Amino acid sequence: RNMATRLTWIQEKKLQNLVKGKFSLLYRASVHGFTNNSLIWRCCNQGPTLLVIYSSDHVFGSYIPQNDKNKTRVSCLLFAFEETKILRCEIGPHDLNDYVYHYGNKEEFQIDLSEKKVTMSLDTIKKLKLSQHQTISFEECEVFRCEDLLDTRKMEGVAELRGSLLSSIRTYKPSRDLVNQMRILLLGPIGAGKSSFFNSVKSVFRGHVTHQALVSSDRTGISEQYRTYSIKDGKDGNSLPFILCDSMGLSEEKGLCMDDIPYILKGHVPDRYQFNFMKPITPGHSNYIDFPLLEDRIHCVAFVFDANSIGQLSDEMVAKIKKARREVIKCGIGVVHVVLLTCVDSMDLITKGDLIDIYKCMPVKLKQEEVHKKLGFALSDILVVSNYTSEWNLDPIKDVLNLSALRQMLWAADDFLEDLPLEETG
Amino acid sequence: MAVTTRLTWNEEKILQKLLGNVSLSLLYKSSVHECSIGEMLDKCNHQGPTITVIYFHNCIVGAFLLGDYPQQGESYRNQNSFYFSLKTNKTETTEILNVEPRIISKKLEFYSSNDIIFSLIPQESKIFIHPSLLTPLGIKHLYSTNYLECEVFRVEGIKDDKSYIRRITGVAQYRNKLLSELRAYTPCADLVSKINILLLGPVGSGKSSFFNSVKSVFQGHVTRQAAVGSDVTSITELYRMYSIQDEKDGKSLPFILCDTMGLDEKEGAGLCMDDISHILEGCVPDRYHFRPQQPITSRHPTFITSPSLKDRIHCVAYVLDINCIDSLSFEMVAKFKQVQKIVLNYGESHVALLTKVKNYHGVLQEDFLNMNNTMTSQSQIMKIQAMLKIPISNILMVENYAPEWEQDPLKDVLILSALRQMLRTADDYLDDLPPGITGSIRPQALRPTL
Repeated sequence: RNMATRLTWIQEKKLQNLVKGKFSLLYRASVHGFTNNSLIWRCCNQGPTLLVIYSSDHVFGSYIPQNDKNKTRVSCLLFAFEETKILRCEIGPHDLNDYVYHYGNKEEFQIDLSEKKVTMSLDTIKKLKLSQHQTISFEECEVFRCEDLLDTRKMEGVAELRGSLLSSIRTYKPSRDLVNQMRILLLGPIGAGKSSFFNSVKSVFRGHVTHQALVSSDRTGISEQYRTYSIKDGKDGNSLPFILCDSMGLSEEKGLCMDDIPYILKGHVPDRYQFNFMKPITPGHSNYIDFPLLEDRIHCVAFVFDANSIGQLSDEMVAKIKKARREVIKCGIGVVHVVLLTCVDSMDLITKGDLIDIYKCMPVKLKQEEVHKKLGFALSDILVVSNYTSEWNLDPIKDVLNLSALRQMLWAADDFLEDLPLEETG
Repeated sequence: MAVTTRLTWNEEKILQKLLGNVSLSLLYKSSVHECSIGEMLDKCNHQGPTITVIYFHNCIVGAFLLGDYPQQGESYRNQNSFYFSLKTNKTETTEILNVEPRIISKKLEFYSSNDIIFSLIPQESKIFIHPSLLTPLGIKHLYSTNYLECEVFRVEGIKDDKSYIRRITGVAQYRNKLLSELRAYTPCADLVSKINILLLGPVGSGKSSFFNSVKSVFQGHVTRQAAVGSDVTSITELYRMYSIQDEKDGKSLPFILCDTMGLDEKEGAGLCMDDISHILEGCVPDRYHFRPQQPITSRHPTFITSPSLKDRIHCVAYVLDINCIDSLSFEMVAKFKQVQKIVLNYGESHVALLTKVKNYHGVLQEDFLNMNNTMTSQSQIMKIQAMLKIPISNILMVENYAPEWEQDPLKDVLILSALRQMLRTADDYLDDLPPGITGSIRPQALRPTL
């Protein structure tokens, strides 16, 4: 028994964005029978419903926004796909019963299931760019219930998850109590969102959006200093068990000097050190840390990439990223690393409702695949985050994404600490 | 007004996980649709697998049906189904039964051995559960009582096979049994405290991923201690002897996974053949940096000159991507044969570990005790058996953990079963050692005559 929809992922996504909901398939003509009764039995009193018709060369249908007994007259939205674009046409208002029990009216839109035909007015057909005839034969009909993407119970679940993540991060203890704070280095091209990620993490613990780290609006990059940000829990609370280290961005030309990376990883570079793209730090520098302790070292590296820029990375940049990664893997003990994909929210078709299950979104999976193939990172190491940009106040869905990634990084740093030989821990 | 489920988001996730990472689509809701058997049937028949969820004040009780909902006046024999309860404290319990669902005078009844095991009366919002089901579900107080709400969901994403229910209800239990068994494992005759398992295989076959996956199973979340990913050359150039802690900062587990540089089909590249001998003898220290054209020598400062039994390798696992076996080059096959010759000369026990098994649901029989014939008779298995002379029972199949941690107890079962088989094989090796071989051993005593 095949109760899977014929809609492609993109078609379903376009429709979801159109009606701002997600769908549960209730009726499928080829399974339940091409009869009005079969459709009515399954679809009556199910709230807003979406009806989709598949003819030999078109996908089109109607969205009925209300389906309960209180309202008697409603407008109905007709739609049709033109390639992946949706054309629409509103009809009505008409008596709700016409839609519920007869699925349309003769003048504008009516379905005859037993005959597998749809009749529409010529004006409607023209707007939807369907055939030249008033009557269209179809092969399949599906009806879905529409539900809010972000209903109350889901938001309550998100809030609960956010609270649990916050708690586990606040109370996190590094492995073997070897250090008080884990150092996480953010590495990536200029403009990828490294400083924005720090700002977003700090915002969660501050309780509102903050901007301690300056973010470049131009592409030359402001971050030329090395910064080691410790974050307080709340405005004047205790320090959290991690430090986010922000470095100069990678660039084809000027950007972070590759030879600086081993020094950063080993903990020789002091806070606020001014990078020089032509010359790495040397032991002779006045603030060079000669004998770094374990807590001065980097315990986890996060490579930060803008999801929308992966496709445009030049060969030079790809080579540079690969070189940086090799430095991370081969520097001394080898630091554990992950990837953070930013700006996923601005990808085509992605809406806030998708962030809840972001790893199941096909465009995101494709981006992960692209990072894996182009740059060599393991799929399991590619995490998605959502930085604050224009907002003033916190969004629990973004927070859950960012805190989940942060927790992964803390676990990764623990993997590094657990792997340290005894002589390195003294 | 949208029609939505009464389940909280967390409860929905628990049920989805219980059913094997499925999707749920709400079909019928008693407080919205009429409280009648007719309305329920109108919305739920011919929808495929369903769960019927009954809500009480402090718990949820449900029935899963693999086949179609029954229709008025009909009954379907030997329907596979199981029942579950979910308490406020999020504990869940399940019970499997073969039932015959019937609709009899406005009631939905599930018969088992001619007894009504579960009965639903929508008009009265009432449910009856047979005592023999109440006890295993931990809901003795719900013998015959009124419920608050009834919802029916279609379950999507199920593989259509009859062993689904047994697997889905038994897998977590079996996984925990394996975990306990491995935690409690002690090597044969206590000759060593830990078994050293050597992972050997081509670049990219999943050696380091397997270690990460094993550690992930014991830690309960994704771990990344060994660097993985792809690059033209092998990422792993160090010899690593990974000890794994049982949970964070817990005690060490009784095995060590030894990770090497990958094998390369080209001469003078990848792991050097002479290094393999030294690894097997236990002369190579943790973190030794391999060089493809220059094996370790006894003059190396950290070379272990007098390895004892605990330093030796006790089991060798050849690691291969199951999807690449058909395209193994002649040169790589030849290299494997070279390796195998060395391993056999040392009397080592060995297994093959095939990774990236996409249809991993089908590897084990429904009771998880043995591999399925359909899997063990694949051409890839035959090729490995012929190439490496390994018995089929020691050709193991796993799927390492990959994008976004979604704990899958069946993957865990495969990983832990493979590990258990390696430990059993190592026991065979220890059992076969000549008498008196304990404590310190002169390398000559075990070095093969050439």
